[in-house]
Amino acid sequence: MVGSPVLLIAIPLLAAFVIPLIGMIWKELVRIIPGLVLAYMLILSATLLYYVSYNGTIVETIAGWQAPWGINLDFSPLTGFLATLMSALGFLVWLFSYRFKRNVDFEPAKKYFIFLMLLIAGAIGIVITGDIFNQFVFIEITGISAYALTAFYTGRNSAEASFKYLMMGAMASSFLLVAIAILYSQLGTLNMADIASKMHTMNPTYKIIALIFFITGIGIEAEIFPLNGWAPDAYTEAPGPVGAAFAGIVVKAGVYAIIRMIFTLFDVPGAYDFLIAIGLITLIVAETSALRQEKLKRMLAYSSIGQMGLVIVAFGIGTHEGVFAALFLMLNHAVIKPLLFFSGSSLVFNSKKKQIAEMNGLGKRMPLMAAFFSLGAFAIVGLPPFAGFWSKLSVLSAAANEGLLLIIVLILIVSVIEIVYYFRVVNRIFFQEYSKEQSVVPHRPRINAMVAMFVLAIAILIIGFYPDAVTGILHNAAKDLMNTDQYINNVLQLGQSLTR
Amino acid sequence: MSTIILIFIIFLGGAILTFLASALKGILKEVLFLASVFVPVVLFFTNISIGQTFSFQAAGFAFQWGITPLSYVFALIVAGLGLMAAIYAVSAMRNKENTGFFYFNYILTIMSMLGILFSRDLVSFFIFWEIMTWSSYLMVVYQGKDVQTVGIKYFIFSAVGAYAMLMAIVVVYSLTGSMMIDSLVQSFPGFSFDMQLLIPILLLIGFGVKSAMMPLHVWAPGAYSHAPMAYSSIFSGALSKMGIYGMVIVMVSLISHIPEGHWFREVIAWLGGITAVMGTLWAIKQDDAKKLLAYSSIGQLGYIIVGVGIGTPLAMMSGLFLAVMHALFKGTLFMVVGAIERQTGTSNLTEVTGLIRKMPWTFLASLFSIIALAGIPPLGGFIGKWMLYESLIVSDHYLLVIVIFFSSTAAFLYCYKFLFGFFLGQEETEWSHVKEAPAMMVVPMLILAVSTFVLGVFPGLILNPINEAMQTLGYANTQGHLWEMSVIFNEWGNQVAMQPIVYTIIGIFLFFLTFLTIKGYKETRYVTTKDISSSGEVPKEHENLTFSMNFMQPFFRAVEPLMRRQIDKYYNGFANGMEALFDFTRRIYTGNGQTYAMYVVIFVVLLLLLKTPFSDN
Amino acid sequence: MESIWYKILGAIITVIVAFIVGLTYMGLSRKITARIQNRKGPPFYQNFIDALKLASKTSAIHHGFMQHVGPAFMMITSIMSVLVVPILTGDQWFSNLNFKGDLIFLLYIMVFGPLGMALGAGQTGNPNSAIGVTRGLSQMVGFEIPWVMALVALMMQYKTTSIVDLINIQQEQGVWLMFSSPFAFIAAVLAMLGMFRYSPFDIVGAPTELASGPVSENGGKYLFTLMSSNSIFAFAKLTLYVDLFLGGASNIVELLIKTFAIYLIPMLYGTVSPRYRTEQAIKYFWGWPLFFGFLALLYAAIF
Repeated sequence: MVGSPVLLIAIPLLAAFVIPLIGMIWKELVRIIPGLVLAYMLILSATLLYYVSYNGTIVETIAGWQAPWGINLDFSPLTGFLATLMSALGFLVWLFSYRFKRNVDFEPAKKYFIFLMLLIAGAIGIVITGDIFNQFVFIEITGISAYALTAFYTGRNSAEASFKYLMMGAMASSFLLVAIAILYSQLGTLNMADIASKMHTMNPTYKIIALIFFITGIGIEAEIFPLNGWAPDAYTEAPGPVGAAFAGIVVKAGVYAIIRMIFTLFDVPGAYDFLIAIGLITLIVAETSALRQEKLKRMLAYSSIGQMGLVIVAFGIGTHEGVFAALFLMLNHAVIKPLLFFSGSSLVFNSKKKQIAEMNGLGKRMPLMAAFFSLGAFAIVGLPPFAGFWSKLSVLSAAANEGLLLIIVLILIVSVIEIVYYFRVVNRIFFQEYSKEQSVVPHRPRINAMVAMFVLAIAILIIGFYPDAVTGILHNAAKDLMNTDQYINNVLQLGQSLTR
Repeated sequence: MSTIILIFIIFLGGAILTFLASALKGILKEVLFLASVFVPVVLFFTNISIGQTFSFQAAGFAFQWGITPLSYVFALIVAGLGLMAAIYAVSAMRNKENTGFFYFNYILTIMSMLGILFSRDLVSFFIFWEIMTWSSYLMVVYQGKDVQTVGIKYFIFSAVGAYAMLMAIVVVYSLTGSMMIDSLVQSFPGFSFDMQLLIPILLLIGFGVKSAMMPLHVWAPGAYSHAPMAYSSIFSGALSKMGIYGMVIVMVSLISHIPEGHWFREVIAWLGGITAVMGTLWAIKQDDAKKLLAYSSIGQLGYIIVGVGIGTPLAMMSGLFLAVMHALFKGTLFMVVGAIERQTGTSNLTEVTGLIRKMPWTFLASLFSIIALAGIPPLGGFIGKWMLYESLIVSDHYLLVIVIFFSSTAAFLYCYKFLFGFFLGQEETEWSHVKEAPAMMVVPMLILAVSTFVLGVFPGLILNPINEAMQTLGYANTQGHLWEMSVIFNEWGNQVAMQPIVYTIIGIFLFFLTFLTIKGYKETRYVTTKDISSSGEVPKEHENLTFSMNFMQPFFRAVEPLMRRQIDKYYNGFANGMEALFDFTRRIYTGNGQTYAMYVVIFVVLLLLLKTPFSDN
Repeated sequence: MESIWYKILGAIITVIVAFIVGLTYMGLSRKITARIQNRKGPPFYQNFIDALKLASKTSAIHHGFMQHVGPAFMMITSIMSVLVVPILTGDQWFSNLNFKGDLIFLLYIMVFGPLGMALGAGQTGNPNSAIGVTRGLSQMVGFEIPWVMALVALMMQYKTTSIVDLINIQQEQGVWLMFSSPFAFIAAVLAMLGMFRYSPFDIVGAPTELASGPVSENGGKYLFTLMSSNSIFAFAKLTLYVDLFLGGASNIVELLIKTFAIYLIPMLYGTVSPRYRTEQAIKYFWGWPLFFGFLALLYAAIF
């Protein structure tokens, strides 16, 4: 054992507070420390994930209080998988932005790394905590650091985007608090496993209302359709790597929270259909909106929302295959979307307007970036032999197994739209002439950014050519999510079977 | 290690190495390129036997690769044309930009086509299908012309087709629990009626797109004409045949097992017939040779679809034979256009004239291919056409045979237009500098052109593998009954014996050639094309007498009503409507925080109002 | 080997017969046309004199290889058709290639020559030739449709694509196909008007306008070859009509009578008609002839 799961939250939090102090000693440490922390977290979570996949879930109680009363952390194949994914992405985001503002200013960089650490700590906290109020706290931590990162460029637009995000986040918090209050008043507990085991005793009306408030609250973080108004603006205005972190880390945490609610806590029969419906709406609205976007990051933002919609649809299928497909999608999205954000932001680095129309002919000027972007585009629209194909195939086959043909049709139609807007960009980059007046001045990214993108690209190819590298982990995670009894037993150590 | 996997590793590795080598100067990349096409193809012909398989598991799906007699026929097309076009491409792409990119995609396309033919399971079929799609897409946009219209259109149609296929695949998987093509074929008769309709339709949409079947063909003219000609040659010659390959499997192995199969066949055959007519008519109208050939490809694929659609032994034979022939002659013709474009800088039939004396070998190759295309005996195209007509007549398709006949008669018009536009007519001084294309380009063309002649005299050479393929598809042995080495029969026993006919033709030709040449050969002298009878006036050197504008105008005055409606316009209208609609959905995101907050409130209220469906029981 | 020489001899005789008959018919047509127009006209053997004159001339110029071999291509079509079409029923000498090719083959070999010829005409560089060719090809699309409809109707009705079989059927039934499949006959005859390129469908050559169109750059032996090819081809086509619709012929006299009767149709129709433009010609063929073609198909489908 390298350490316990609690370190996954404690260390980045600690690092976030220590960074400004250390920065006084040597400025470079501000950049180095987060990297070391994230690397350690990655190793830790990967080791733990390996451990739990053989020895079963680790339940860590905090401060010695046993489960229903104290806060516990739950490091299962599912949460471990997500935590590993987030640490890995966090590490890559750090790697990409290692030289961020290096020669310009010290102050922004310090803030940037502080908030990045907080963001990652919060997101991992959301995933591995076993206490619903604790989860709320982590959502707040994540949210606050996300607002700050959105407003990072301190321009008018960034401030506006951040403010929108903040406003929505505030609404989310209030809904969440109300939901938690309802649950606590009805069940007298805040422990998720305990809630799950007692859920059948709850008054249905309260149950529904609590669930609705939960979905609304977390849905804002998870970018569900009518609640995701903040997302396009935030993605557009935040720095490129932050966009990647949002897409790869924050949203995943939000989706996890919703899924945990619906799969484990609440036994509401129509919830799965609701997931499918809301996921489809999100998917369709987001992808159709993406088609006519003029700014690159905004397009990527909509695409990201759409992908999350697809993830939610896949969860809504509710079978093991569905969950497996959803997790696969999350994994792929976490690998591909950061690559798109990284390479995309490098491509339009020197542009004021960040518009797609300015990208003509960049393929010849920045061949590697353009190739990475195209690889990402190929992968995300699900072209074999790249990563996205396998997740798309598993979603579709999960849907087909349940006979949901209409959903397959809708997903595929949306995929065509996705292809159109991604390939319009790829076409511009590679096959249209560079013009001095209209196109962006090329920017050569640093070696660390190159390495980060290279790692992601390799990951895309590995998953694409050898999907079995990850399917085992995903199957374990899916099994874990589907088995509510196991979850309750692990946490409460009741040693008996519970029927809902 | 199995040879099958070795072939794919060489392809893939070769593609990457060639791409990397393109950064270097010298001929390393060309050598690598040729090697990575040649070696696997040679391995294929020497070490792969029919029935040999290679299986593995990945991502929870069973994969199986192996060659069947049917896919062997198509693999012949891919390997043969792929090799020839590769040799041609080395010379044609020399001194072009981004040759590494071209070679990379070329190798990937060949690999994916062989992969499709090797696939015995649906997942790898689909994977290779998609690789083929995007590698060909990258070739369509390679030259950077109209990428946002032509390229995107190609990809949209390909994606729609591929996704229809993907849907069929996952539905099949959910029904049978297996991804094997064989298990689909076995369990298909037991499916419910809906599924028996749905699955073939979805698959046929997928295959119909690639084989440019009406109304899914609109991508083809642009895509074929925008790709580099060295690639268009396999694009039209081999890649479109993948659609035919899939169609054969669907039409024979699936559709013949359902009671409504008859209607399916009629619909597909008629779609093929309409495709043939419309493709031909539009081909006549084109002034750009690339576009002309592209439309002609659509028309020719129409014949093949008719043959496959009708599905009687003779029709199927004709479909497959035409597929081989089309690969040969259309491959050659695209190469011809490429050669001419390389030497003159344009492929416009109204600009280039009188190349026959400057590029005689190219002319010879295109003459053979055009004769084969037009279906005139004694070249191979005739055999296919003959079998097609006979099969239609024998199977009582009165009207369809007329439609096909109309289309192939009208095809003479563009055949002549092609030859006349490029090679004949006035020899203008503008083109006096033009030289014959390099030998590396001419030789592949001539080899392909001559093979159309060989197959015309000895159709049995290719009908033999086709016969074996058809036997594994469940047809009876047709050797000796429908074909022999150089005789073809129809189902009523009427025959065409190619050998005596060819010998007679050659005899007559030689006799009159001697007659025209021998006596007074010395007196006859060559005069330029300005020295013509023109009512006493002598045209000056720079006076342009070329007749090439509005070439077939009188014909179009007659067929105008047929061509007034263009399906392309409907698609464009639809696409524009969709874009407008999506522009509207984009406006849902107003950018106003208050609106977003209101959305949240509305969302909550709606959910609370609609909570009844959520409440338990 | 014996049989091959025998066959070659038969073929040569066939071709010579076809050549003589064709030229004679052409001469007769000139005479008859002249009489109708109240002229005296040349003697019926005038064409022989013309041919002889052309053959004895030496050509001074040519425009290139395709033009040089164009007439030879034309000859291939004419001779191949005359060899494939049964001349006399049951006669060993004239059996030639009758069993080696069927109607579809014949249809296709019949366009071989014109296309080769068209290529030759194209190489001359004379715009008139090319214009003539485009007109000819367009017109061909016009008349081929009713013609093929008629043939398809016959083939379907009698379940054979062989010309010999069709003759045998007529002899077994004792009824000519022009009576047992009347619509097919009408469609075929209307199509024949275009096939012979007499007025009103002579815009291809249009002597006054295009300077004879495709053949305009040919003289001497080229023209001789083309002319003889035309006459052989005309004979082949006439014989084909006789075989298909008039029950074939068992001796040479019967053949001559029947073919001449058929020949009169396009010739007489031509003498009283002005000239159609190309698109008018196409529209003409896609009018009534097409209608009769459909009737023929319907008739074949029902019976």
